[in-house]
Amino acid sequence: MAGNAAFAGNLSFLNLGELIQLLGTNGGTGILYISSTYASQPGLIYIEKGNPIDAANGTKTGLDALFSLFGWIDGQFEFIQEDITRQNVINKSRMELILDGLRLLDEGQVEVLGPAAGESETEPTVAKSGSVPLIKGPLVDYSYVVDEEGFYNGDEIVQEGNHGNWIWVILEGVVEISRETPAGGALKILRIGDGAFLGSVTALLKGDNVRSATVTAVGNVHLGMLDSQLMTSELANLTIDYREFVRCLDERMKQATKMAVDIYAGDKKIADFVKGKKILIKQGHAEKRLFRVRAGQAHIARETDAGIVPIGCLQKGDYFGHIPFLDIGQEPYSASIFASPDLKLSSMDPQELQREHDKLSSTLKNILAHLSTSISVTTLIACDFYNKVFAGNSK
Amino acid sequence: MAIVNLKKRQIECKIVYYGAGRCGKTTNLEYIHKAFKKQVKGEMVSINTDGDRTLFFDFLPLELGKLKGCDVRVQLYTVPGQVRYESTRKLVLRGADGIVFVADSLEVRREKNMLALKDLHQNLKEYNLSIFKVPLVMQFNKRDLSDANITLMSLKQMQHDLNRQLKVPCFPGSALTGDGVGKTLNACLRLLLKSIQKELNLDG
Repeated sequence: MAGNAAFAGNLSFLNLGELIQLLGTNGGTGILYISSTYASQPGLIYIEKGNPIDAANGTKTGLDALFSLFGWIDGQFEFIQEDITRQNVINKSRMELILDGLRLLDEGQVEVLGPAAGESETEPTVAKSGSVPLIKGPLVDYSYVVDEEGFYNGDEIVQEGNHGNWIWVILEGVVEISRETPAGGALKILRIGDGAFLGSVTALLKGDNVRSATVTAVGNVHLGMLDSQLMTSELANLTIDYREFVRCLDERMKQATKMAVDIYAGDKKIADFVKGKKILIKQGHAEKRLFRVRAGQAHIARETDAGIVPIGCLQKGDYFGHIPFLDIGQEPYSASIFASPDLKLSSMDPQELQREHDKLSSTLKNILAHLSTSISVTTLIACDFYNKVFAGNSK
Repeated sequence: MAIVNLKKRQIECKIVYYGAGRCGKTTNLEYIHKAFKKQVKGEMVSINTDGDRTLFFDFLPLELGKLKGCDVRVQLYTVPGQVRYESTRKLVLRGADGIVFVADSLEVRREKNMLALKDLHQNLKEYNLSIFKVPLVMQFNKRDLSDANITLMSLKQMQHDLNRQLKVPCFPGSALTGDGVGKTLNACLRLLLKSIQKELNLDG
């Protein structure tokens, strides 16, 4: 995107309806670019004298594209002033477009792209480009990049099962993350692009790390190696509780990925996942507390139309509940917690974690935010597999 | 919050018609659109929302005159009441400058009216508006049905039910025949003008 934006900002503050209203009041002419970390390419709306005349979103154009963009509830927008020579293919009044677009959004007729949470009941879905979802990361903080490396299409950057502690940030390009399935062969899980991170934060805490997935370059990829030492010492200065929290987050990611693979492989154990367990947090309930497991197990599962999808199992030392500063798209809004009979908990103060979190450098914050997005997206992927394998719905 | 558009030298503000489903919000707006054609700018937008329609059009009330050299342009909306239309409601209610609460005079709708008012209170609060402060008028609609042998609530009872605390201007009306529709809107416009003047003066 060009840097000569007349007007730019965040969709979570000003939604598309309000944005079009504002540009309409102003009578601006130009192109409105909308980008979302959940979509592989930006959406475009052509605006002439304040009125949308055409739009593009992936393969969609015109009115279809415009309405689909109402589903982008989380993302960035930029309005660039320029002359528009396009035909008006929309031919509807601004207010009609806005009210109709929002109606479609409210009625669940447009796909919502955003973090898998919020108290809304609509299930968010992941942008599909090809069949493997793509996640992009936040803006790169170059002060943590100590070295740069280039890879070519098809190069294996990291191999599952190998030992390795490096964490990279993708400066340019896209990589694919895959895992071995029990039946043999690799399952492509997702793709990550510019600003996203490779490697596990656990490596910074423990010093020894086994790679949990294989990473392959898709096209030419430019990676920046991050200063692990700096980040390790940064984490070492935080409370043990916070470090445990980070470990638990990484563990969740691994579990969600493993679960996605198991579901894909049609593992029979999955049906018994919640059997005989008591529900502790019901999906969608506004639970404001944060807990830590002292003994026993807490099982995470998402309730979907196709059934209860297992996501992970928390052990002693793990956290669950409401995390105010990160959105991982699981409990309490988008998953339930089931307790084993011997589960013992202690209540934690989320504020304390929040204070520690606020102290982090932007790079570590980015890594954790990216980790949370990945957990959220992987959860959706697991549900998608479940729907296909167990409910027999291949969409 | 009114928007001052310096380019067009206009002050744009918003009046929202609120009320229970089928109480006559839409009929009010349709009547205004028809009867005050000269002041209506542009087409009426009508969106079919479940159980109710959402309407919108621009209105240029001539009698208001100019404010600090700017024309006052009013956007009139109805808003769908159902819970699921959250985004629509947010867009419409956020920054509303005036509200017309339309109440249904049918005895059987008594509870629906009260629920709708409570709902309005709750919704306004979410967008940082207070039902006690926002320019608000009420219309007790469907008075014409008394001729058709349908039991209506007395105006006194409706006052008691809905307006005891708020004490806002209220008018009997019949949106179908147009009785009281203009009066209701004018009362709301007058309140709105007062509040905008206050806002502009306060802001210097």
